[in-house]
Amino acid sequence: MSERDEAKTGDVARPAPTPGEGQVWYSDDPRDIGWVRENIPCQTACPALTNIPAYIQAIMEKDYGRAYEINREANILPGVLGRICSRPCEDVCRHGEPGNGTPVDICHLKRSASDLKDTGHRINESLYAPSGKRVAVIGAGPAGVAAAHDLSLLGHDVTIFEREEDPGGMLRYGIPAFRLPRDVLHVELHNALRLGVELRTGVEIGNEAGQTSMTQLRKDYDAVLLTTGAMAPVDLPLSGGEGKDDPTSVKGVEYGLNFLMELHRGMKKKVGKRVAVVGAGFTALDCARVAKRLGAEEVTIHIRTAEEYIPVTKDEIFETKRESIRIKGLRTPGELLVDENGALRGVDFVQNRLGGWRENGRRQAVAIDGSEFVEPCDTLLIAIGQRTVNDFLDVELELDRWGSVKTGEGGRTSIDGIFAAGDFVAGPTTIIEAIGNGRNIAGGIDHWLMGRQRRRQVVRISPVEGPLRERSFDFIERQDMPTAPLAKRTRKLTREVETGFDEELAATESKRCYLCNLKYQIDVDNCIYCRACIEVAPKNCIKLVEGVDIREDGTYGELRETKKWDEVGAIWIDNNECIRCGACVMVCPTNCISITRNEFVTQDI
Amino acid sequence: MVEAIHNVIIGNGSAGNGAAVTLREADPDCHITIITMGSLPFYNRYDLPRVFRGCYDWREILVHPLSYYDDNDITLRRNSRVTDVDGRNRMIAFAHNEAMHYDRLLVCAGGQGYLPEDLSDYRDLMSGFGSFEAAISTYKALPAGGALIMLGGDMIGLDLARTLTDTGYRVVLLANEYTFWPHKVQDDERDGFINALEHMGVEVIDGVHPVAVEEGEAGKPARRVVFEGGGDVLGDVVMPSYGLSPTAEFMLGSGVDIERGVLVDPTLHTTDENIWAAGDVCQIWSAEDNAYRFYYGWNNVRLMGEVAARNVTGANTAFEGLEDERLRIDKKGHLSSPFWEH
Repeated sequence: MSERDEAKTGDVARPAPTPGEGQVWYSDDPRDIGWVRENIPCQTACPALTNIPAYIQAIMEKDYGRAYEINREANILPGVLGRICSRPCEDVCRHGEPGNGTPVDICHLKRSASDLKDTGHRINESLYAPSGKRVAVIGAGPAGVAAAHDLSLLGHDVTIFEREEDPGGMLRYGIPAFRLPRDVLHVELHNALRLGVELRTGVEIGNEAGQTSMTQLRKDYDAVLLTTGAMAPVDLPLSGGEGKDDPTSVKGVEYGLNFLMELHRGMKKKVGKRVAVVGAGFTALDCARVAKRLGAEEVTIHIRTAEEYIPVTKDEIFETKRESIRIKGLRTPGELLVDENGALRGVDFVQNRLGGWRENGRRQAVAIDGSEFVEPCDTLLIAIGQRTVNDFLDVELELDRWGSVKTGEGGRTSIDGIFAAGDFVAGPTTIIEAIGNGRNIAGGIDHWLMGRQRRRQVVRISPVEGPLRERSFDFIERQDMPTAPLAKRTRKLTREVETGFDEELAATESKRCYLCNLKYQIDVDNCIYCRACIEVAPKNCIKLVEGVDIREDGTYGELRETKKWDEVGAIWIDNNECIRCGACVMVCPTNCISITRNEFVTQDI
Repeated sequence: MVEAIHNVIIGNGSAGNGAAVTLREADPDCHITIITMGSLPFYNRYDLPRVFRGCYDWREILVHPLSYYDDNDITLRRNSRVTDVDGRNRMIAFAHNEAMHYDRLLVCAGGQGYLPEDLSDYRDLMSGFGSFEAAISTYKALPAGGALIMLGGDMIGLDLARTLTDTGYRVVLLANEYTFWPHKVQDDERDGFINALEHMGVEVIDGVHPVAVEEGEAGKPARRVVFEGGGDVLGDVVMPSYGLSPTAEFMLGSGVDIERGVLVDPTLHTTDENIWAAGDVCQIWSAEDNAYRFYYGWNNVRLMGEVAARNVTGANTAFEGLEDERLRIDKKGHLSSPFWEH
């Protein structure tokens, strides 16, 4: 069924084969590509397409360096993302489906690969010959750094222009050190950029004196990539202050993003005793937790809907609450209350009820007339979102209806040779989305510069001798992430809250992964239809089928199940139900059940 | 033949059982399944303090005789924890990897004792009182005449406190904003109620914030509660008493609206046409308050179960909570609360 070619040269993501394995195939058959997309939901959900089962298996084998490198093939900052990722993979982990328990702690396992690997372990990079092309990247945030790294691997000379003193963007200036230690960030950024990327910090792009213009950059470089992110706060017009609708005209009111950025630039920040934070994202929670560490006695986060619907991880909410920060739902701020000295004394809120769903998948909040109430506070941090800024551009790029730069295939803007990626295009997303997008656009730039696509994605299929899991693994509870003692953690801004898995915790958690990249398949020519596999299967995973539909795109479709023996065309393992326990393999009297490892790799064309 | 409707009730407290009996009266042919995490049939949690008066046999606090479930053709599934509800496919998933179909679902899962997140590291050093087993465990941990340190002091805890002081134990209450929960006590009333507690024999320490619970040193009481900024208090048992938080986590993926609890309209209907909720787990829309609110206490909760069940079977009755929710001081100078009535 697959194009079982011998391995082509240049695959950059080949994990070391398990001893005793046989021949390896590479396939571009739509059925194999579709199988990987549908059967490894965690990888498919990851914007960077991280090979999650492979790195978790490496952790299970205590090969942390390999686990780290498998991560790095998709995501250049494993130690960073292992701490602060929004974890779309865990939302779709099959261990979290009803009846299966809770999702595997994929994110913290990623961190354990970083924490537990040997000091000075060998980093794998696969370099292309120099192309002689020069690329300027504007912005050293996650999208810019990811793109610069890939463009550099692909042989191009890359220069990053960064406004701030240090690279990292939101990672450095938005996320507090108690969630993301700066030494971890520094090492991984350095690893990503040390292949020859030139980093120029403190450089402003614009038309003012002392600034570098886009027009000039476009002349000096073969391609320019814009990755300046969404680094401005969304305005919240609140009445009550002197500056009409500008809440920051009131003493004690700040935008949360500015508050965090100034703090991380080294400014001394102060908060009052009673701090209110308005907003429901990671920035809002970070503001609240920073305020607590700056000495606030009472910190409350006010959200428009309810905790269930806010786009942050449950762990983050729990840790925030553990630090005695309250989260109060169903309320919208309306007016600032100011004392005779012009300082904030409270916020007038209106009570909400839940409404329907918005287009972006978020819940609506509907204000209830006549339900205003006052929350006293002396500091208000507003963190209701972020937006892009493009007033530094001296070239006229086509914009979309939200005012962001419009891009087409491969990140191309309306001006030839200027590309854009990350939050600068999509608006505020997540770090992993920015990295994934940065890398994709780097591929697009390479295609444009070289005049042809140089890499493609195929499925690497390798035989596996026997089951790699035990049924008992299915009953292991998700391991809790150890944390710093409460009494100490809020005394310092830089004390990391989550302390990481040790080897034992990492090994235990890694066993929970179903290893969905393993494909169990019954050879119908050798099957004697004894039903032994069906009898031992713990789930409804082995099915009698008349056949399997093939979709228009060539991928597998619906299984046509039957209960009539005279209609049975095959016994089929439904890998969407299979938990890879191996019970079927153990009882099969004819050894007709094979296991292969199926994973995406990149090949040269 | 029309297949009987399967009504599933999650929760075996007064709301769930109030609902079950109402459902049975309304539809003699329906299937009724009650699911509970506990191991005992329906008992009266307000009777739990009786373990300190010599009631050690769970049979003595059962609300109904053991034959009740058989007599009413109600299936009771004990020791069964629901992990997920799939509202679209009307399926319930259990922790023991079983799935169950329902036609109509009543969520009466109640609440669990809230422990502030900043004290969660010390959970293992504290005692609970939310089940018969926990009550017996606390009874065994508290030596005769020993001291129980109560953190917060909600009305469930204070119900126990009045039994303890009456039976020769010491109760040291670390009072805070949770004291008297769920009563909303005005500032000018609070001192009077604190005095009443002291009159009842409760030793009140007001204005301290516990930050840690530790094991006591050898030869001293078994527990030490450390205060923010210094100071401590010693006792044999530490019990958090910070009110209830709804047991609604298993409903997060169900599709129904949730804030702190399951959100329902005044008829106790959720946003899913086949799911109702009653008791401590639900927040009911109150047009009067312009907000969702909780109603507590045996009588409220029982009534909610009955109203929800009537609406499941086709009625459209709005729940009206009991009007009198005021905390009082009786003629003896003791506290008196409608939440203690059952």
